[in-house]
Amino acid sequence: MLTVADLPRRELAARLAGPGLVLRTGPFANRIHSDIPQLLEGIALLYADYPVDAPGGFADFNLSLHRAGGLRRFFRPQVCFSHEGATPFQPLPLAQAYPMFEWVMNWCVSHRAHSYLIIHAAVLERHGRAIILPAPPGSGKSTLCAALVTRGWRLLSDEMTLVRLDDGAVLPLPRPVSLKNESIAIIRAYAPDVVLSPPVENTNKGTIAHLKAPPASIARADETARPAFIVFPRYEAGAPLTLTPMGKARAFMGVAENAFNYQVLGMRGFAALGQLIDATAAFEFRYSKLDEAVQFFERLAQDGA
Amino acid sequence: MWRVVPGQLLAFREWDGEAVLYNDLSGNTHLLDGGAVEVLLALRAEPLDAATLATRLADRFDAEDDALPAAIDAMLTELAGLDLVESLPC
Repeated sequence: MLTVADLPRRELAARLAGPGLVLRTGPFANRIHSDIPQLLEGIALLYADYPVDAPGGFADFNLSLHRAGGLRRFFRPQVCFSHEGATPFQPLPLAQAYPMFEWVMNWCVSHRAHSYLIIHAAVLERHGRAIILPAPPGSGKSTLCAALVTRGWRLLSDEMTLVRLDDGAVLPLPRPVSLKNESIAIIRAYAPDVVLSPPVENTNKGTIAHLKAPPASIARADETARPAFIVFPRYEAGAPLTLTPMGKARAFMGVAENAFNYQVLGMRGFAALGQLIDATAAFEFRYSKLDEAVQFFERLAQDGA
Repeated sequence: MWRVVPGQLLAFREWDGEAVLYNDLSGNTHLLDGGAVEVLLALRAEPLDAATLATRLADRFDAEDDALPAAIDAMLTELAGLDLVESLPC
């Protein structure tokens, strides 16, 4: 199996600039076209362990990220994204090319992959139990996810939980973990050996860096997981660690609110989410100390209750 | 008289006295208490007025007999607001 790391840098650049680099992420093949050096560097660093398909084959998504043309090449240069001819986003400053790439990779899945119930949630597995962490931005979801990943948890996704509609299995989509603002320093201190992309400042989400997904998680990207818990995390400075059981109907509504395509799926989404709620125990989780939270999750995965 | 809005499938899941219901006519999902589900199921069988509903469901609800009709009335108004039930001209 060919990976990005197997491609000499010149070949990687030639594929991106020419027929497209076909990158496998979980169940998806992404054909990427780009002439932007920062993006090439980011892909070489964070996607080194991902499988690459032959340039000509089928791809689920066709993404193109290029420098804006004309005088914009020289004056405050920008990056433009297009997907199969459509341009759903405004151009961004060229320095934000790599975060934009990650956002558009997410966008393709959340807007196109309707054979899954897609929840805006991190999902990780330990001891054969998958824990789903749905949460709005600011809840500390990604920080918690990154910390767990550095302590041996299998990363299925930090952003999108894919629940297969027919059997409720969770499909892995391990990709780099997005860290914002103070989380970047927190994770650097928590796990000094991790690989992080260079922080990009002044994005509309603040400063962004991406944590490389563990190679072991990428290698198991075709191995589904069984969901055991749904935990709604909330970081609160100074708060003691608390875990509060949630009624299943309320957990259902909480997950539906955090799903990208629950409405799109209609009755199929209702049935799939009901099945997920049947299979899991749900909690609200409040924490302030990352270490305590990680130890707590270890016990939860080990004991199962 | 009240009835379930024609065409409404009343797809619901109930856990521990609370339920979620998928309104297939509006596409919305509602969080309901188990009592609301009892009312909907009774009305699915046949249109009823609030007083008859109260009599039928009296042994299912832990309410004083004289408080139940008003509670059922309030619930019917709430369910009508969600486009799940509608009143029929007498």
